[in-house]
Amino acid sequence: MTIPNFTSFSAQDLVEAFSAACHRLDEHRDAVNALNVFPVPDGDTGTNMLLTLRDAVGKTAENSGLDLEGVPGFAAQFADGAFWGARGNSGVILSQFIAGFCAALKESQACTAGELAKAFEGGRESAYHSVSNPVEGTMLTVLGAMAPAAAQLIDGGEKNPLALWEAAFQAGLDALESTPELLPVLKEVGVVDAGGLGVVVIVGAVLDHLAGSDRLDAAVEKFEAAAPEPQALASLNTAAGPEHAGWGFCIQFVIQGQGLDPEAIRQTFGESESLSAVVAGTERQVRVHVHSEDPEPIMAQCRALGELHQVSIQDMDEQNVDMVGQAESRAGSQLEIALVAVAAGDGLEKLFENTGCAAVISGGQTMNPSVQQVLDSAEATRASSVIVLPNNGNVVSAAEQAASRDPRLHVVPSKSIPQGIAAVLAFSPATSLEDNLDNMTRAISEVVSIEVTTAVRDTTIEGRPVRQGQCISLTDGELTAVEDTPEESLYSALGKAGIGPGSLITFYLGQQANPQDAADLAVRIQENMPEAEVDTVYGGQPHYQYLVSVE
Amino acid sequence: MALRIVTDSASDLPASLAEQLNVTVVPAYVILDDVSYRDGVDITQDEFFNRLIGAARLPTTSQPTAADFEAVYRELLEQGHQVLSIHVSAKLSGTLNSAIQAKSALGEDQPIEIIDSQLASIPVGLLVMDAAGRADTADSLTELASYAGSRIGRHNGFFALDTLEYLAKGGRIGKAASFLGSILSVKPILSLSEGEVHPLERPRTMARALNRLIELVSQEGQLDRLAVIYSTGEEAAQRLRHTLAGMDLAEEVILARFGPALGAHVGPNAVGVAFSSSAGDGG
Repeated sequence: MTIPNFTSFSAQDLVEAFSAACHRLDEHRDAVNALNVFPVPDGDTGTNMLLTLRDAVGKTAENSGLDLEGVPGFAAQFADGAFWGARGNSGVILSQFIAGFCAALKESQACTAGELAKAFEGGRESAYHSVSNPVEGTMLTVLGAMAPAAAQLIDGGEKNPLALWEAAFQAGLDALESTPELLPVLKEVGVVDAGGLGVVVIVGAVLDHLAGSDRLDAAVEKFEAAAPEPQALASLNTAAGPEHAGWGFCIQFVIQGQGLDPEAIRQTFGESESLSAVVAGTERQVRVHVHSEDPEPIMAQCRALGELHQVSIQDMDEQNVDMVGQAESRAGSQLEIALVAVAAGDGLEKLFENTGCAAVISGGQTMNPSVQQVLDSAEATRASSVIVLPNNGNVVSAAEQAASRDPRLHVVPSKSIPQGIAAVLAFSPATSLEDNLDNMTRAISEVVSIEVTTAVRDTTIEGRPVRQGQCISLTDGELTAVEDTPEESLYSALGKAGIGPGSLITFYLGQQANPQDAADLAVRIQENMPEAEVDTVYGGQPHYQYLVSVE
Repeated sequence: MALRIVTDSASDLPASLAEQLNVTVVPAYVILDDVSYRDGVDITQDEFFNRLIGAARLPTTSQPTAADFEAVYRELLEQGHQVLSIHVSAKLSGTLNSAIQAKSALGEDQPIEIIDSQLASIPVGLLVMDAAGRADTADSLTELASYAGSRIGRHNGFFALDTLEYLAKGGRIGKAASFLGSILSVKPILSLSEGEVHPLERPRTMARALNRLIELVSQEGQLDRLAVIYSTGEEAAQRLRHTLAGMDLAEEVILARFGPALGAHVGPNAVGVAFSSSAGDGG
């Protein structure tokens, strides 16, 4: 097989390739999770690695508008993102591999074959060093196998860094296959190591991206197919349960200080009773991930060294119980289609949840959620398809961006809260995704939205002068009323909204709305427009005294 | 000797039609303020809904007893008839069980066939009409029973509620609760398919809900039977019936009324449509 010839990888090559790797790892994430039997079968290895890699890539992407200052700039950002994004054991080990890998690239202007070989070696050393008791048959074995393969090609005079990458992928794959022979618990269940699979997915995805090939999926297919049924995992846990004293606590934090010595900290844990420890970092910041029966002494010890950040303590026995429980309920619990809405205001957030949204992203007119937030919220639903309702004209493009990055996402471009609610109500879990998208999009066009707010300065809107403090009503985005109180303004706007027999007017009261004034207005509407019905709901939104739908 | 059809009052088959078709309707019981009434015999639908709206405690219904069925079967058998007994879904009611017990009390060799319609309310009534329409020409009880059984899958119904209050009071929202929500007022459309009630859509106004019912029916193509059913608010039901009649979807549009079994849950001002499609009719 021939691969494209590179003299070196640019920062841009690396950013794009690892970004692609993020998406591929996401696709394989469930498979990686399903293989997770070591050290604690809690089914989150793939997720932890993905979140870690995503933050690493995110950090470089954040700066993509700027000059990354070539490979050294990329290396610094990528390592920093991974360090702060690291989650779970596998995430920390991955971040440490990335730290070593990137450290080797910090000096080089271009990532040539020679530099890449050094990077693989730097990554290997760093990964092994971060663990107090390195265990073979884990992702360490896979991470460690790549450097020798790359070095061998350099010795043979290879100049193409992509050829090294290909050799590293092959070596990682072979090492992955060997993990059951090295770690008995894997052999017992008949699987390869989950973290190792995650590494192979990342490395393979980078290779596929740079080489324009499609080798990854076929290469890992047989390993993924061997994933045990949740029941089998549960029984493994139960089997381990009674004899085992318990998994203890999973303790994670970052120490920030001066002159920290990760090696010394790691040795302390190695000698203590902790079940396993991962310690990694620099003189100024050290990430600690320890499993122990008793968190307190460890915390006290580390508090003496510096300030603790991102502290997380989880009872792994509970995680284990969760996993057993999940095995029983998993089949029925995963949503086919989930709705994710963007809304600001406690009442509106609750309303969207109450009407069936799996997640509500806090945001709107003045707090536009990021593409990343949309992706994360969608991700968290764990559904096969996610319909996103931006509910604000300023959020539609971020939602569409997110959808362009993740094929599971679909956007129904609601530009207001009333449109969003109409769309949610048109959703039916019993209907196909396509029909739901049609019905929801149609529902948006069937509702009239009125937004009432106070002008913050003197201005002219659509040729009409508006004084500061006056209350303006926008009907589907067009100015329809300017009055001195929100109620007058809304009443005037409603008069132009084509209220007829059977019309339903819903008020979503904002933070600044006066409930008594709203009630009086509702009575006035009922008296003067008897054919219409008024429903008043607390929205709690900022800036708008009233959001109103007419349907 | 003739083939005769028996059903129960949860079929919501209008009394006039039952009489015309020689169908025996075994009444279920309605319990209001601890007093038990025979549905459609001791209490009319108007009385029931009047009392439902004011009732502190939701009225309940209970299926006809095995003895009730036994008496009806015995009388028909004594007249030399064979019996096809068609009932509300066993998933929703113990009626079928009472019928089966009655049959075994009379002896398994008696000419009685019992069918679980897997339906509720007027869709059962329409299935009963299918069977009654064949009773005179069918060669045997077995043939009639298998014909009725083959028609079950063609019947379907949708209804729109004006309020969720009664469904919630009766504890029948269940899994639908998260879908139907509670903060916003909606006029939910429920389907009556496969013997269970499923929430389908959440229009916010009755006007839109009625339009959706019309759309849902017209999507079905040519129909063998079509009915409009309501709890209270006959005017709206008549308007819907008139609109559907003008669309020429079926020969006639039957007007029926929710009995207490479903009526207690759908509450006042509920309107529904029920139909059987004629597509792919081999018989």
